[in-house]
Amino acid sequence: MARGNAFASKRRNERIAKIVSMVVLVILTLIVIFPIYWIFRSSLMTNGELYAYPPSFFPPAWRFDNYAATLKEFPFWIYLKNTMTIIVPAVLGATVTATMGGYAFARLHFRGKNFLFALCIGSMLLPSMVTLIPQYIGWTRILHLDNTYWPLILPHFCGGGAFNIFLIRQFVMSVPRDLDDAAKIDGCGYGRILTSIIVPSIKPAMIVVALFKFIELWNDLLQQVIYIHSQDNFTIALGLSLFKGSLKSDWSKIMCATCLAFIPGVVIYLIGQRYFVEGIATTGLKE
Amino acid sequence: MAKRKRTKIGRGETRAAWICMLPSLLGLSLVTYIPLLAVFVLGFFKWNGLSDPEFVGFANFVRLFTKDPYMFDSIKATVYFALVAVIGSIIFSMIVAILLNRKVPARGFFRAVFYLPYVLPAMAVYLGWSWLYDYNHGFLNYLITEAGGSRVMFLENPAIVVPSLALITVWLSGNLIVVFLAGLQNVPRIYHEAAEIDGANAWQRFWKITMPCMTPIIFYNMLMSLISSLQVFVPSFTLTSGGPGNSTTFLSYLIYRYAFTASGRLGYASAIAAVFFVIIGIFTMILFATSKFWVFYMGGDE
Repeated sequence: MARGNAFASKRRNERIAKIVSMVVLVILTLIVIFPIYWIFRSSLMTNGELYAYPPSFFPPAWRFDNYAATLKEFPFWIYLKNTMTIIVPAVLGATVTATMGGYAFARLHFRGKNFLFALCIGSMLLPSMVTLIPQYIGWTRILHLDNTYWPLILPHFCGGGAFNIFLIRQFVMSVPRDLDDAAKIDGCGYGRILTSIIVPSIKPAMIVVALFKFIELWNDLLQQVIYIHSQDNFTIALGLSLFKGSLKSDWSKIMCATCLAFIPGVVIYLIGQRYFVEGIATTGLKE
Repeated sequence: MAKRKRTKIGRGETRAAWICMLPSLLGLSLVTYIPLLAVFVLGFFKWNGLSDPEFVGFANFVRLFTKDPYMFDSIKATVYFALVAVIGSIIFSMIVAILLNRKVPARGFFRAVFYLPYVLPAMAVYLGWSWLYDYNHGFLNYLITEAGGSRVMFLENPAIVVPSLALITVWLSGNLIVVFLAGLQNVPRIYHEAAEIDGANAWQRFWKITMPCMTPIIFYNMLMSLISSLQVFVPSFTLTSGGPGNSTTFLSYLIYRYAFTASGRLGYASAIAAVFFVIIGIFTMILFATSKFWVFYMGGDE
């Protein structure tokens, strides 16, 4: 009897814990999503409505024509095109070269492999801010590519960053070696093994690399500030900075532009969500 | 015969390896390690990027530690920001991950929401938050005045601006949550079952099993967020221009200002970058040194 009571009270405690944790989770979720909602709601109001006190939680009228007005002053489509001109080749280059590097580290034997791998892992801890000035001098004083997109694209054709090489390596190592050996016996060279056995097996990892690279470049501001000077070449981030500078406190339009800048990242994220989670989980866990 | 064949295969493999490694080697040398050496060399020169560089020995380093009006404020601001941001992000994302790890309905949806801020472009994020932080019309000041408090100058008060910006970083820590969550799911269930049979309650199981198993992942997340927080740049550039006073003149922003705005002092900025590298190195080493006291690796399994 006492035993049964203990059991029942334990079950009750578990149920209470479950409800409490669910409530806390919902509250935290609301807090996290609220700023995005607030920005969006502000983009659908006039400045007069925005400055009213107390602020209204829902737009009095859903003024989607704010966006039309904003687009007249904020050339979003040109900025988007410019941004994509940088991101698309950079993402492709990073994905392909990271796959090559990751494959070599996982499968091939060559002299100095351990040393190079250590250098690769070490560079993950190296702050990019430190190497910024020498890189800048290289691009502008040695190669004379200032005010072009090349300094923003070409570095990503060089392995796509240590993190991504490492990620690909982890995935390649999980592909059974027997498949390679069988192909080798059938007379496949290393190039064929990479393209027809490894690549199909690690496609999810390659998608993860592409998505990470997209987010990384999508987030970037510093590199773009340094290398891009003429307004015709401005990206979304630079355009937003310029737009804010010229408007000062026309918050309604600034919030429209902010929301427009949110959209492409969100779309890519929703498409690739499954892969994001998988990829982060793998890199965070394996040594 | 057999020997020759093997070396031939070996040679083919070596060639394939170097072809595959070529882009990465270019990256490691030209994009990473040569610039790292170069920054230390450049630190010994006076160079505005136009005239010929002039060797000045340790003058830049002496100057930045003795005469520079920003350097110490900048180091202080950067370290302060990084500590608040890292501690805040780790605690917040650990709590969220623990909650998500329970059998909650619609877990995918919740996880997606927490990750969402991370995929928004930094520039737009800070712009959006500056509206929430607005002194007269911002939402947070509305909440504060409703609660009976007086308005807060989130971005204009030197005592508050760094925590205000760090809060945005905490908001952006969705990737930490996903890593923690993956780690929690890898804690061997059998340990929990064994402890439960021995009569350990949920609280004891959390501190004696879950936390020790999670320490390598906490370490990884702390390391990564420390390195990225120390390099904070976007908020100074977009919102505060390093102010008020020097309270948000973070080292990245200071380097940027010396090297890429009007003065164009590439040599001097390189000296700061070299010092910055040493500072980040020291913090990384401290973290590694403490790790042997609190990070537990499960033996054998991996």
